[in-house]
Amino acid sequence: MRIFYLEDNPLIAFHVEQLVEDLGHTFAGSLDSFTALKSQFDSYAMDVALIDIDLADGRTGPDAARWLKDRKVPCLFLTGQDHIAADAGDVVLGTISKPVSLQALADSLELVPQGSKQQAH
Amino acid sequence: MSEPLFSFGKLQKVLILAPYRRDADYVRQLLLAHDIDAEIATDVHSLGNKLQGIPGVLVATHEALKPDVLQTVAAHLEAQPSWSELPVVVLLDKNAPTETVRVHLNRLWPRARHLFYHRPVKPAELISGVQSGLLARRRQQDLFENMEREVELRRELNHRVKNILASVTSIFEMTARQSASLDGLKQDFRGRLTALAGVHSTVFDADGEQVSMAAVAALIFGPYRQEGSDRILASGSDVLLNREAATTIALCLHELATNAIKYGALSVPEGKVDLIWSVDETSGDLSLEWTERGGPPAREPSRLGYGTRYLRSALSMLFGNPPTFQYAAEGFGFSARGNISQLT
Repeated sequence: MRIFYLEDNPLIAFHVEQLVEDLGHTFAGSLDSFTALKSQFDSYAMDVALIDIDLADGRTGPDAARWLKDRKVPCLFLTGQDHIAADAGDVVLGTISKPVSLQALADSLELVPQGSKQQAH
Repeated sequence: MSEPLFSFGKLQKVLILAPYRRDADYVRQLLLAHDIDAEIATDVHSLGNKLQGIPGVLVATHEALKPDVLQTVAAHLEAQPSWSELPVVVLLDKNAPTETVRVHLNRLWPRARHLFYHRPVKPAELISGVQSGLLARRRQQDLFENMEREVELRRELNHRVKNILASVTSIFEMTARQSASLDGLKQDFRGRLTALAGVHSTVFDADGEQVSMAAVAALIFGPYRQEGSDRILASGSDVLLNREAATTIALCLHELATNAIKYGALSVPEGKVDLIWSVDETSGDLSLEWTERGGPPAREPSRLGYGTRYLRSALSMLFGNPPTFQYAAEGFGFSARGNISQLT
């Protein structure tokens, strides 16, 4: 699967990129804000998105997840803000707590339904 | 971030409860004449409504304090936020026993500041009492705002601490997976943490949010300077970086420097490195150029190490496009370019 990551901490993005590759998936890229996602969405091809709650433009992760869901991209929260993730739990397939482990990431990616892959842009 | 708890202004309006004769009008006119905003509660229902707006001071006549009024005010006092203490001015009849009323009201109305005056009250005394109540309210307002600010700061601090711990976890995990030995792990991890700690202090010492590119370069290359020879020549225009950009660039420079020492130009005595940065006046783009010379030829690695992966990932995020690596016979080179408006 092509996995996109919305995260404003480059060190975590760098780590997750490695974990995604370890699991045999493709890292589709990362952006640090909902604003950047909205303007650059068309440049990325993704089958699933990992989303942090607090981004460079504020607590916009839940809005970003809703926005992506409207565009048929399944989403998972990857965050240390579990209680806020729970409030928007209906928007996402699941929540992965930080710090992320390979196993937790693998388990959560299992939740992505088969055939949810969209056409590459 | 958080909604203000109240939208009642600044607790500077006086609420008057004086249902008999023209007392209320008289007090209101007196207060207005002294530039003190005041409104009248005509009955217990109106009192309940107006208390919702949270008055600065309540002025009440003794005879107005009927059981339902006492109860309405008590309920309001009970519901006040922790920082609030309603100043109450009670206008007693000439021969009323102040102590009895005081004891009674202290019991019924805790968390209020009671002031008692016997009628007829001298206007100057009443004004002075109301003003001291309003002043107390101003102090309470300050306290409330400080408490709000503290909550905000604690939230921000928590967010930053979590972020740093998550960063350290990622640095550790990524360092550990690339380390061939425990000594290697210790050395690399310590180096990266030192760079992270250093940039934190540099940003904090600057002004808390911004730091110059030159200061970041000096921080990272400082430990590698040998006496009498600058083997890393760093120069560029005046550029201010925000905390996030400074952190990313510092960690990137750390990776470039340690790589040069292990495998590149700085692995031999005569090798040198140039780091040049500049800002394009028209596009606002910041560009970074790292050029090694005088060392062994650079070869593209068969597998990506921590440094290369980090530079690619972090700078792609920072600049919006990936950096380029040159593996040349003269030595390793690296360049990155992106819009500065995102950085400051």
